[in-house]
Amino acid sequence: MGNVGLALAWEIRIPPIAQRGRRLEPFREQIAAPDANRMEDAALAAACRSGDLHAYERLYTLQGARMKNLARNILGSSTDAEDAVQETFLKVQRSIASFRGQSSFVTWTFRILVNTCYDARRSRLRKKEVTADDEPQHDDAAPRPEPRAAVAHPSLRLALERALAKLTRHQRDVFLLYEVEGFRHAEISGMLEITETASKNTLFQAKKNLRQMLEPPRASDAAGAR
Amino acid sequence: MNPMNVGCKDRDRIFEDGSAAEWAALEAHAATCAACAEELRSWKSLSIAAAELRDHTDVPTLWPRIHQALVEQGATIEARREGRSWRSLFPNFSVSWQTAVAAAFVIVLMVSAGWFLRPRGGSQPGSLLKSKALVEVEHAESAYVQAIDKLAVEAKPQLENPATPLMANYREKILVLDSAIDELRAQTGQNPSNAHLRYELLAMYQEKQRTLEEILEEKR
Repeated sequence: MGNVGLALAWEIRIPPIAQRGRRLEPFREQIAAPDANRMEDAALAAACRSGDLHAYERLYTLQGARMKNLARNILGSSTDAEDAVQETFLKVQRSIASFRGQSSFVTWTFRILVNTCYDARRSRLRKKEVTADDEPQHDDAAPRPEPRAAVAHPSLRLALERALAKLTRHQRDVFLLYEVEGFRHAEISGMLEITETASKNTLFQAKKNLRQMLEPPRASDAAGAR
Repeated sequence: MNPMNVGCKDRDRIFEDGSAAEWAALEAHAATCAACAEELRSWKSLSIAAAELRDHTDVPTLWPRIHQALVEQGATIEARREGRSWRSLFPNFSVSWQTAVAAAFVIVLMVSAGWFLRPRGGSQPGSLLKSKALVEVEHAESAYVQAIDKLAVEAKPQLENPATPLMANYREKILVLDSAIDELRAQTGQNPSNAHLRYELLAMYQEKQRTLEEILEEKR
């Protein structure tokens, strides 16, 4: 597909880093989850296991918006995203007894969410009776993003959504979890059941592919083509 | 200025898995290398662009909806848990082991009852039913059995094709109970006036009735 055709140069499309705040890769890895967070996570899991609905509300307060945003970016529809978040909460309630604390409760919840989103995508595909020939080049159909609230750069977001849809599932998931939702590689590895190294490598590949799709051809490339 | 001696060739490796110190070194190198400066800026731009996909605004109607669904599912889970309470007698065993243990228990019970209540030549007036009372008992038992059979007919479709592990478990339990009932009926046939055997048989029928009622409750 090549370039998605944003006419603006990167410098114009994206405000300078200084204006948007610095949020760069390696430094996030150094932020260890404080003990207090781990204790709250464990307490939340225990309360949910005991059937306390206030604990589920707390989980929603802490992670609901992030869950819905991730689901929306995977599914491309706010309605489907809300359904997926609700289904995730119900699955958590049904299977909380099997949660052994091998990962954090939040990580476990997001793993359920990601799987629920892809189940929903497959289900949607089956309903539409889309044949394999009609599917895009990757393992599952690309979401068709619906209009969202106005943001600073709607054309950039649209381009990014289109480019993300062309990535592999794992590349898209890792990019969304790391760059959009702000999870650390250690957390992502638990959510996607991959190693931390694989998470880093997948993010690297995802960003390389996104750059290829989003950046206008450089003058040197164009000259080379001639 | 660049104590780690990072160069252009290190750029991709640092992008993929660089430490904080390596990133700092790469930035220092980029100050004097236009190609790396452009790559670094472009790479960071993707992270910044990702923010465009971040929309963490709350949807006020979503939590009430989820809450309602959780309440409804919680009630269903609780009802199932109560329905399965008999299994909690053996909480650390799998379903198949629980069934086997229950079957073994019934067999031991029957053998013990047979041993203690076997005919010993002389009469046991306390445990024997008189002939008129015996007719009444058999009549009541027959009516009870017919009522349970009606329940069994209603539950038959679910038992023949169990759709859930719980239903399969119920099916196993009914089979065990039926087997025990057959054994006890055979014994009462040999000792029709033995009140203890009648009580055992009654207990088995009651258990079967409860189980069938639970199955029909699941169906609803």
